[in-house]
Order: sequence, then structure tokens, then C-alpha cells
Amino acid sequence: MPISRGRTETGEDYIAHDMRVFVAAAPRGYGVEDAMKKVKSLVLAGLLALAPTLVSNGPALAQENAATAAPAAENAAAPAESAANATAPAAQAAPAATVAAPPRMKPTEGIGMPKPGEITLQEQFTSTGHTARWLHDVMLLPLIFAISIFVLILMIYAMWKFRRSANPVPSKTSHNTLIEVIWTVVPVVILLVVAVPSIGLLADQYKPAPKDAVVVKVTGYQWYWGYEYPDNGIPEFVSNMLPEDKAKANGEPYLLAPDNRLVLPAGRPIKLIITGADVIHAFAVPSLWVKMDAVPGRLNEKSFTIDKPGVYYGQCSELCGARHGFMPIAIEALPPEQFDQWVLSQGGKPATAAAAEKTADAAPAADAKI
Amino acid sequence: MASLPPSPFDRDRRNRRTLVAMAAVGLSMLGLGFASVPLYRIFCEQTGFGGTTMRAAANVQVQQATGHTMSIRFDSNVQPGMPWQFYPEHRTDTVTIGRKDMAIFIAKNMSDKPVTGTASFNVTPTQAGAYFTKIQCFCFTQQTLKPGEEVRMPVLYYVDPKILQDPDNKDTQQITLSYTFYPVEQDGKPS
Amino acid sequence: MTTITADHHLDHAHDHHDADHKPAFFQRWFMSTNHKDIGTLYLIFAIIAGIIGGAISGLMRAELAHPGIQYLQTWANIQHSLLGVEPASLDQAYHLWNALITAHGLIMVFFMVMPAMIGGFGNWFVPIMIGAPDMAFPRMNNVSFWLLIPAFALLLGSAFVPGGTGYGAGTGWTVYAPLSTSGSAGPAVDMAILSLHIAGASSILGAINFITTILNMRAPGMTLHKMPLFVWSVLVTAFLLLLALPVLAAAITMLLTDRNFGTTFYDAAGGGDPELYQHLFWFFGHPEVYIMILPGFGIVSQIISTFSRKPVFGYLGMAYAMVAIGVVGFVVWAHHMFTTGMSVNVKMYFTAATMVIAVPTGIKIFSWIATIWGGSISFKTPMVWALGFIFLFTVGGVTGVVLANGGVDDVLHDTYYVVAHFHYVLSLGAVFGLFAGFYYWFPKMSGKMYNEFLGHLHFWVFFAGVNLLFFPMHFLGLSGMPRRYPDYPAAFEKWNSVATHGYEIMAAGMGIFFINLIWSLAAGKKAEGNPWGEGATTLEWTLTSPPPFHQFETLPVIDDTAHH
Repeated sequence: MPISRGRTETGEDYIAHDMRVFVAAAPRGYGVEDAMKKVKSLVLAGLLALAPTLVSNGPALAQENAATAAPAAENAAAPAESAANATAPAAQAAPAATVAAPPRMKPTEGIGMPKPGEITLQEQFTSTGHTARWLHDVMLLPLIFAISIFVLILMIYAMWKFRRSANPVPSKTSHNTLIEVIWTVVPVVILLVVAVPSIGLLADQYKPAPKDAVVVKVTGYQWYWGYEYPDNGIPEFVSNMLPEDKAKANGEPYLLAPDNRLVLPAGRPIKLIITGADVIHAFAVPSLWVKMDAVPGRLNEKSFTIDKPGVYYGQCSELCGARHGFMPIAIEALPPEQFDQWVLSQGGKPATAAAAEKTADAAPAADAKI
Repeated sequence: MASLPPSPFDRDRRNRRTLVAMAAVGLSMLGLGFASVPLYRIFCEQTGFGGTTMRAAANVQVQQATGHTMSIRFDSNVQPGMPWQFYPEHRTDTVTIGRKDMAIFIAKNMSDKPVTGTASFNVTPTQAGAYFTKIQCFCFTQQTLKPGEEVRMPVLYYVDPKILQDPDNKDTQQITLSYTFYPVEQDGKPS
Repeated sequence: MTTITADHHLDHAHDHHDADHKPAFFQRWFMSTNHKDIGTLYLIFAIIAGIIGGAISGLMRAELAHPGIQYLQTWANIQHSLLGVEPASLDQAYHLWNALITAHGLIMVFFMVMPAMIGGFGNWFVPIMIGAPDMAFPRMNNVSFWLLIPAFALLLGSAFVPGGTGYGAGTGWTVYAPLSTSGSAGPAVDMAILSLHIAGASSILGAINFITTILNMRAPGMTLHKMPLFVWSVLVTAFLLLLALPVLAAAITMLLTDRNFGTTFYDAAGGGDPELYQHLFWFFGHPEVYIMILPGFGIVSQIISTFSRKPVFGYLGMAYAMVAIGVVGFVVWAHHMFTTGMSVNVKMYFTAATMVIAVPTGIKIFSWIATIWGGSISFKTPMVWALGFIFLFTVGGVTGVVLANGGVDDVLHDTYYVVAHFHYVLSLGAVFGLFAGFYYWFPKMSGKMYNEFLGHLHFWVFFAGVNLLFFPMHFLGLSGMPRRYPDYPAAFEKWNSVATHGYEIMAAGMGIFFINLIWSLAAGKKAEGNPWGEGATTLEWTLTSPPPFHQFETLPVIDDTAHH
């Protein structure tokens, strides 16, 4: 059952932490440009409200929401309300209530998450992921299998052929320059062959996003994640793990499912800027080939484009204390227009509006892949 | 090598010599371990390793690369527990490569006590660090804000035109400059 | 390798009684200056530490057998009741998990593998193999061993003092800042760091001792290029220890001052950098993995040669491959830090440099196979362990090539794939080397033969167990299971439960080992000076089993005309 994009599903256990982070996070800055944002997003909200997707989604959403504790409008405003506690005036005035968030996407079993008993890499949904998975599955895996089997066969053959009962008199050979050169040079050649696509993959991974990419600020906390959309004017909201009963009720895998997902557009370039607030965490989503440390006092960035809509789960991947295993990540990749709708529902302004605002940026829209 | 049996006396002397030499090796590695702190800092400052920014004097002359622009993003963080608001005046800016530009960060002390802060910083993508040069920055010194005080803090910087020749930066369209403010406590120990 | 004709077979010597005069018990074992006795102490210590470290991994595998928290809460409550404090909260139970993984790692690295390989076999056989009467500095040797006791006590004790959220140091064996500084209040982490300091000091003293012994104490005619490969391996290892451990000492000293004296070496708040710690740690940490495996290479070379009745193939290549591995091992450290946000050039360099290590490693593997090629192989217990080592180390090595790949590592970093990789090279590599060496030299050390059947049984059960235990971890890692998690999504259950069954089988194998050990010590056949026949050419086999308390009072002369 698709449920609302609730902001109230935070486990009771974690509420205290939420308050702390909101206090800390709020001063992250609400610039003077907010007034402009409001006007523009109002206009856009109106336009988008007429979009067919919304017309079909809206009522259904409203009905489903009726069953949950919190109505959609209230949900949408929740992060802003929390932020307001910490004297940040900007967000709550945004016209969030006028646009409903798209329904919480239901994950597809086995996509963006490990499959039971799986023995290989998760299916990939970014171009780096495809390249890297190809490199692993087509090149490295057969290579390491071949080497291991080759060594095993040589050993078994030698063990059989030269067992004492079959070969009572050992040879005294202890040198053979030719063969020593061969087993030095052949591995070098193999490594060179492996190195070429490896270096290519690295270059691909480090290709920075274009400047009109969707930017999300990811902050690792003990023990939850915070997400902020600086260009969309969405202040930081936090993402805590769903307790087991709630995850199951949602039809989501326990220990992978957080309450609030990191919502991103599919098909648009994305740049995550990642930092840590207290200790080092690592933001990792295996099915997007993303793993980047969240280091306090420094910023890292990771760029990628998600192939298609879906829910992609990940987990913190750097030991960060007691609840290291309990701060999951979920990326909800929406179709671009639904993403814009979600941005509006959070009181933010969608990318098109944001781009228009950047008058100095003469970036042609063609820069983006979509 | 040792073809004749050495006398025990010779052997002991040689052993002691080896002991001293090896102890010296160990001690110099220990020294190197500690020396790595300044060495690492110098290495980062010289090479831009890890996105460390460069620093230039106020009278630096830079050739502008007319027609080439770079988008600059400004990111701000405050360590949890530090009672400051700290944010850039503009989140992004577009500058001509080689032209000096100024960005303003705004900091406000939300508490009723004076608070001194110091900022750590880096840029991403990290390979752009060697080309992002600051002439003047609030991060060069500690900043003290009186209760409720709000200040506008400038960063004067430019993007070195050499970045246009660097193949590693050929796809770099945006450089993000990030600051994190930490409180400086009286006893010097960070919280 | 070299055919050695020692002119002085002590087992025929008339001065046997003088050479075998042993001091009284306390004098002999607590103030020992005898390299063989100190070696024995090291081995006993390593076995005890191994039992503790292995038991901790048993706790971890029990907890991980199924999703959900099964026993952790109970164990944490036991820990708390031992301390007389209130029952543990869930977070404190999770913290106990981190304390367990930390303890397992530190114990196995610093208190099991290193003491057994270098302190145990190194002490026992390096002096004998080079024809020396003892180590260069016998008293320093004793100090090295006894430093380990307080170090181990500090580490074990740290489990019972506060370490942040709960009791014990929960930082991982890597002790990354700032989790280990601002993230872990309480004395547990300080105790663990001090423990590393002391263990490190012990190892540095030991390293200097080995270097001096090997460089200066060789018998006439025992040139460097005639030394058995085990001695070569210890020499290279000792240099690695001497160069790497002081850097660790510096790194963790700065952790201590950051924790206690307000310095900010690793704290961005004071202009420090937490990544500097990682650079320093791995500058030590990568050579450290070679410190653990190189003596295993040496042991396996001796055994393969002995039981093939053939000199080691490509002796010089083997010796200098170890030197090459040691040298290259110092310039690859940042491949442990591929996800810290380093720039693309740095990552490319470390990817390429790491892959280079595959070349000398390949030389070693192929040279071992070439050694058995054309040999006259007898499958005694040490030989099957050595052969098992070669294959399993190959498997562990090739996954290292995968991980070396900076781009691929982005998904495998900090997953069970890494756990599988380093357990294949260490738990299946170094530990197989240890067992091979133990069976090989047990007759020499104890004067008793072990039971061949139990030795083989131990091998096969252990082999099946560890493969079942660690191979599925590759699958878990590929499908994305992160390390250091006490609980995991249901999808990971299958291979986790297989791994836990693997642990059970491995534990049964260990049971067989201990039965064999006790039975052999009590009722084993008396061992001859050389139980292995003509293939065993190194000097220890020219002595009685066990060797006299003092050997080579008249130095043996190594025949210069002997050829490889």
C-alpha cells in the first residue's frame, strides 16, 4: 500500500535526536533570496497543480492519506515547522499546502536492495554502476576465477604426478630463467590489460556533474542522515530508521528503510555534497555505485545520474559508533515532473524555477542529460 | 660475508653498533610520524591535495581568461552545539576564471555570550583545490562575535586560469567552497 | 636450497650435558634469556590469545547466524552485571558489538598472529637456522615477550571500563578519529591505545633483535644468499616492523593527546584533519598485513622444499620477491581510503601501485608450484597445510586485485567482500602458515611426534570450515552487506547462516588440534633429530629433538662448495 510521504513516522526512540539536529541544522542559512523563491514557487505550484499527473495522483493520495494519522498538508510542512523552532523564518511560509507530495513509492522486490541469497553485485542504475559492474562481472571475476582454477589444476596435477610413490627420485632443478621471466611478464601484461578499463572507470566516476545538477547536501549524524536541498530552498530534514513493525507495515525491508527518503529525480544529473557532523560516516547506495565518506570538517561530492525511477537502499558504511548498523539510506528516484511536484510540496522551488533565478548562469538547458 | 668465526668481542661490538643504527632508524620513523603533521599540511597547501585551497597575496596579478566562467557554490556548516547562524549571502555565483571576486558569508551569534569560532574549509571537486586561490578570508583567523552580533565576512578569491589546461578539471563546471565553523573554547579543547 | 654440512652434530656431542643444563623453573621461564624458551612462551601466549580471539569471533558468528539481535543484549547484561551496573540499554548492547569486533581484530593481529609467527617460530628457529647460539640480545628478547602481557591485560581490561556509549573500546581495530577521540569518552580507548603502544614497543625491540641477529650472528659460510627463506622472511618482516610501527606509535600518541590534552592533530576544529590519522594508520597498517603473512611465506617455502625433497625453485627470486613486497607495501597504503574523497589522480596511482604487488606475489606462488614440480612429494601434515596455504592465499590474493581497483572498490569498500578478502589472506593464509609451521616444527620443539591422522583430520575439517565460513562472505559483500554490523536485512540471512555453520565446523577442527596437541605431548612417539628425511636440509634438523638448551656452542661451518 502506498502510504503518505509522512514526516511523522519517526520512531519514538529517535525523537529526541530529531530535535537536536533541527536546532543545529536550522542556522545552515536561509538567505535573502527566499522572498523571491516564494513568489516563483507560488506561480509554479499553480501551474503544476494542473498537470495531469497531479490530477490523477492527487485524489488518490488524499484518500490514502485519510487513513494515516497525519494529513498530507501537515506532513509536508513538518520539516519546516521543526526548522521554525530554531528561529529560521523562511520555509514555513512557502505554499506547501497547495501541492501534495507524490505518494511514497513502493520498492520493487530485489531492485535497489539485496536479493535473498544473492551471490553477485546488485543490479545497477547509474552509468558508473553499469561500467563498474561490467568490469567486475566480465573482466575481473572471470580473470580471478581463471587464475585460481589454473593454480588449483597445476597444484593437483603436480601433487598427483610427483607423489612419492610415483616419483621416488626428485629432480634437482631449481632454476629456469625462461619460465621465471614468463611468470613475471605474463602477470604484468594481465595487469596492464586490467588497468586500462580500471582507469577509465575511475575517470568516469570522477566526472563532475554539470552546474545545473540537482544538488543535495547530505550530512551524517550519529545516527541518522540529514538532507538539505540548497538550490530548492528545502531546509534540512532528517532520515531515521523505521522500526521493524512500521517497515513491515510499509512493505519495506527492515534495517534498510528510513522514515524520510532522499528524494531525487531520475534522469537528471545529481550532485551530492556530503559531510559529517560528529564522526566519520559513509553514504553508500550499492545499486547506484555510490560510496562516499561523510567527514566532519570537510566536504566531499559525488555525482551521478539515476537511470530510472525506483527506491534504492543503502547503509552507512563507516563505523560510526553504537548505531552504525541502524542508519539506513533510501533514495527515492522520481520521474522529473513528480520530483518537481515533491519539491513544491516541501515548500521548495523546482529546478526550472531555480535555474531561471540564476540569471548569471548562462548554462544552456542542453547541458543536462534530460 | 662472515667467512671467519668472529670473536665474541667483535661480535658484541658489531651487535651494539647494529642496535644503535636500528634504534636510530626506529626513532627517525617515530619522528617522521610526528613530523607528518606539518608535512601533511604543507603538502596539502602546496598541491591542493584533498581540496585544500591555495593562498595568494593581495597584490597578486592574474591573467583573466575572458569568456571562460566557473560556477562557484558556497556551503556552510556549523558544528552541532555551536550557537551561530552561518550562511553564504548567495549560494552560487558565476565568475570569470582569473577574475578576483568577493563572496560574503554572514555569521550571527545566537547566544548571550561572546563566542569565538574558527573555520575549516575545502573545495570540491578535490582536484580543483590547486586552482582555487584565496586572497583574503575570514577563515585565516579566529572570529569572535559578541552576543547577538551579526557580521558579514568576506572571502576574496579567484579561480586560477591554469585550471583550463588541467585535463582532470576539463569537466569541472562548478566548484563548491565549504566552511565548517567550530567553537574555540577557553581551554583550547574542542567540544 | 643450500645443502648444509654442519661439522658439529650436537646429538653426537660429548658435551651434551653441559649444553643441556637448564636453570630452575622460575629462572627458566620468567627470566628467560634462551631463545627457544622465549619462543615457547610466545607460542603459548599466542595460543591463549588465539582461543580468546577465536571465541570472540564465535560470539559474533552466533549473533550473525540470523537477522535480529539474538544474544547481544544478554551478553551486554552479563558484562554489566559483572561490573555491578544496571542492565545494558540497546545502544550499550550495540556498543558491545563494536567492542567485540575491535577486540577480535586487535587480538588476532597483535596478540595471536604476530607473536606466533615472529615471536614464536622466529625466536625458535631463526638463530638455529643461521647457526647462532642465541639471539643477539637475549635479555631484550625476554623484555619483548613480557611487554606483551601488560599489553594484553590492558586490552582485555578495556572491555570493562566505559568507552563511550557502553563499555569497552568500540572503535574498530583501525581506531579512526574522531570516533576514537570525541566519539568515545571514557578510559577504554585510552587503554586500548596504550595496549597498542606496549605491544608495538615489544615488536620494535623484537625487530631490532632479529635484524641484529640475522645480520651479525650467522655462522661462518652462512651468507645472506644461503640463508633459509624463513630467515629471509623474518628479516624482511623485522624491517617492516621497524619502519612501520614507530609511525603507528606516533599516530596513536597523537590520538591520546587529542583525547586527553586538548591537542587537535585530527580535529578539524583546531585545524587538524581526521584523514591524516587514516594516512598514518594505513602507512603502518598496510605493511602490517605483510608483517603477518611474510613469515608464513617463509614457513611454507621450507615445508614445500622439505616434503618435495627438492630445493626451493628460484631461491633468489623468492627472497627478493619478499623484499619487493615489503618495499611496495609502503607505497600503497591509501587503497584503504578509496572512499575518503581523494582526487582522481591519487586514486589512480594507488590503484596501479597496489596491482603491482600481484607480480611478486605471483612469482612466489608459481615458484612454490615449481618447487613441488618434479619433486618426490610426501603428504605429511605440514605439507598438506602448506599446500592448502598456497591455494587459499591465491584465492585471497586475487580478490585483492579486485579490491585494488579504485573504481570497483567504491561499492566493495567496507563490505563483507573486504572481510572475506583479508580473512582469506590472513585467517586462511597466515593461520594455515602457522599450523603448517606448528606441525612441521612440533617434533623439533617438543621432541614428540604429533599424530599424523589427527593432523590430517584437523586439516580437512578446518579447511572445510574456514572455506564455508569465509567464502560466502564474498557473496554478502558483493550484494552490499557492510562490515561491523550486528544485524542485517533479511536478504543476507542465507549466507550468514552458512558462514556460522562454517564457524562451527572450524571450531570442531580446532578441537581436533587441541586433542592432537595434548595427546602428542603426553603420549607422542619420540621424535628423531630429523623426522622428515633427506628433504629437510636446514640446520635445525641437524640437532636433537628437542635441541639442547644451548646449541652451537661451537659454531657450525656451512660448506662453501654447496650449491643451490
